[in-house]
Amino acid sequence: MPRVVENIIRLSLALGCAAALSMAPAHSRELREVKDPHYGEVLFHFYQQNYFSALTTLMTAQHFERLPHHNDEAELLRGGMLLSYGLHRQAGEIFQALIDAGAAPAVRDRAWFYLAKIRHQRGYLAEAEEAMSRIQGRLPGDLEDERRVLHALMLQREGRHAEAVAALRQASLRSSWAAYGRYNLGVALIQAGDRDAGVTLLDELGRDRARGEEMAALRDKANVALAFAFLQSETPARAKPYLDRVRMNGLMSNKALLGLGWTHAALNQPERALVPWSELAQRATVDTAVQESLLAVPFAYGKLGAHKQSLAGYELALAAYSREIERLDQSIEAIRRGSLVENIIRNNPGDESGWFWRISRLPDTPESRYLAELLASHAFQEGMKNYRDLRFLADNIGRWTQQSAIYRDMLATRRQGYTERLPRVTAGEHALDIERLRAARTKYVEELERIEREEDAGALASDKEQALAARLERLRRGAGTLTDAEQRAQMQEKQRLLSGLLNWDLSAKYPERLWQAQKGMKEADSAFTEAEKHRFALDAARTDVPESFGAFENRIAGMDSRIRGLQTQVADISREQENYLAELAVDELTHRRENIVAYVTQARFAVAQIYDEAVRAKEKTQ
Amino acid sequence: MRETVSATLRYFFRCLSAIGIFTALATGAIAAEAPKAPAKDFQSLDTRIQTLKQDAMELNRDLLVLEEELLFPSSTQVAVFVSMDIGTLFDLDAVQVKLDNNIVSNYLYTDREVKALVRGGVQRLYLGNLKTGKHELVAVFTGKGPRWRDYRRGATLNFEKTTNPKYIELQIKDTESKQQPEFRVKEWQ
Repeated sequence: MPRVVENIIRLSLALGCAAALSMAPAHSRELREVKDPHYGEVLFHFYQQNYFSALTTLMTAQHFERLPHHNDEAELLRGGMLLSYGLHRQAGEIFQALIDAGAAPAVRDRAWFYLAKIRHQRGYLAEAEEAMSRIQGRLPGDLEDERRVLHALMLQREGRHAEAVAALRQASLRSSWAAYGRYNLGVALIQAGDRDAGVTLLDELGRDRARGEEMAALRDKANVALAFAFLQSETPARAKPYLDRVRMNGLMSNKALLGLGWTHAALNQPERALVPWSELAQRATVDTAVQESLLAVPFAYGKLGAHKQSLAGYELALAAYSREIERLDQSIEAIRRGSLVENIIRNNPGDESGWFWRISRLPDTPESRYLAELLASHAFQEGMKNYRDLRFLADNIGRWTQQSAIYRDMLATRRQGYTERLPRVTAGEHALDIERLRAARTKYVEELERIEREEDAGALASDKEQALAARLERLRRGAGTLTDAEQRAQMQEKQRLLSGLLNWDLSAKYPERLWQAQKGMKEADSAFTEAEKHRFALDAARTDVPESFGAFENRIAGMDSRIRGLQTQVADISREQENYLAELAVDELTHRRENIVAYVTQARFAVAQIYDEAVRAKEKTQ
Repeated sequence: MRETVSATLRYFFRCLSAIGIFTALATGAIAAEAPKAPAKDFQSLDTRIQTLKQDAMELNRDLLVLEEELLFPSSTQVAVFVSMDIGTLFDLDAVQVKLDNNIVSNYLYTDREVKALVRGGVQRLYLGNLKTGKHELVAVFTGKGPRWRDYRRGATLNFEKTTNPKYIELQIKDTESKQQPEFRVKEWQ
């Protein structure tokens, strides 16, 4: 792309871009402390300028109520992102709701400012004015100067020059907006009739040591504007010094050369006018100033009485105009064939749609040479942004179409798996026979209660102790059958002693054993409760799972229908938008063609005049 | 002479006005940079596009909700986030996450993502499902540490998964006192 085209775009976008970029840093520090991880996730997308993802992530988090610590900030951010996404109406509703809910004045003023800016850039001028009028305090940092410049632009558009001047006079000269503010103020003063003050301001800007191409281009513009103001007021001698300051290869050089020629012409110096005009006539004929110079050169020759050169100049101009008309016709045809918009999108990729996307590269096609100014205009940029957003939506919806099909398959697989597993699980449940377990548990609980009530330590005896007790009982019975009284007495005493020892042991171990038994019972109860829970869950699942499958299937079917509806709408509106953009471009080229046709008429008229004068001169001499 | 000047300039401005140059020059950047009032069909189209965008966003939200409820129900859901403060002592290249010794994520970061993290963004690195019970998470961070040296550090967390969703944050912090980066794992309640 020619450098000059880049410059045209850069200069014309300078106001808009700088304003838009100032939006993001405003969030960076104040939102650092993240108290809900999902809010941080929104910021992660936001800081990468993936506004669509950030918005949908935020809306999803709000749906699940995952932002309890960031409710207001999230809404403010959502409003800001909707602005970024071009949805100023919805953003306005959010800001209004925040204001109604008593947002802090600083937040409220900034909200209204952004709203005013977006509305203005989208051409909703009355709404922009309304939003601007709601700002009550001073905005932070450069935003205040930006606001004043924007406000002045609005006032100027309404012809309220004096008020525009007043608004701009309050802008600080330190900010990056100062240069634009000074330029606007200078022009506003001249328009309002205070020419001297306006000239002083523009003159300061015109002498400024510009930093960078953008400021140098603005300086050239100030000088050209001053020169043309003096030409308009028929004081051409004052115009010349300003035109001399303009760079020869800058964005404004063609217009400056044209003006310089007219300055000399107005000072009745046609031979000096020929110098800049001849230089200009060598340049690319796509520029309107160059086209104008093709007429100006023979005009100057005519003034000098060099009718032969003048005639030759007009004929050259006619040939050049004819070629230009042919190229314009081809370009109009190419645009109508529908390749322009696609070419621009291909040359200007970006991650996601959003406010910061701008056309920065023109496609390398014949028609592009005419469209630099159109492509740099707000209407076309906004239209392209919308078209690009629509393309993004088409891709996004396309991806969901595939996902939706996957979910349907997945759900079908899950349903099949459930149907296959259910009989096995049911059989396992039957084998477990939970009713029998419940009856056994009741019996054990009663037995334990009895043991505790009766302090039946023997009931808690170990197997070994029970065997011992049985042996002692056999011993007791055996001792009773002994015939020898002494032997019987000895045996009975021994048995009594041993039984006493056993009972002592059992009694000593009873509390711990009872506790162990009760603990075991509790554990069993817990396992039993768990088993019951599983059984209830299983019972619930038998009803709920098929219902949930059905619910998900219905939801997916509903989504499918919405997806299809949106797909159709996106396709239809994309076509309309593409046609609209093509028509804008065609209108611009048609307008240019009409101008060239007017030049052709003038050139032919001038040629006819020269011939007439030649005939008259010949008649006189005869 | 005066008449000549006037006549020449009048001719000039007639020409310029005819081709629209004068308006652009005399009113300068203001007229050129201020938006032309859009045509009615633009506003009508713009309004329809705005409605469409709003519908698309709502559809996306509903689909994301559906996707999460279908694929990652809250009773089994586990999400792993990554955050970073300051970022002067550690230049993040990649993070690997293992859950119960299975690699669930290997992520390489772009500059843009790292900048978003440093500014306060939190990345959801992994979203998956886990059964209730005890689990182990191991995260390995790779990048450049102080003095631009290769740096590789791990962090481990043993945690209990209940029937509520589990959110785990891998935090990368600069510890000024030690002049070393620090890697922590935080469980969100």
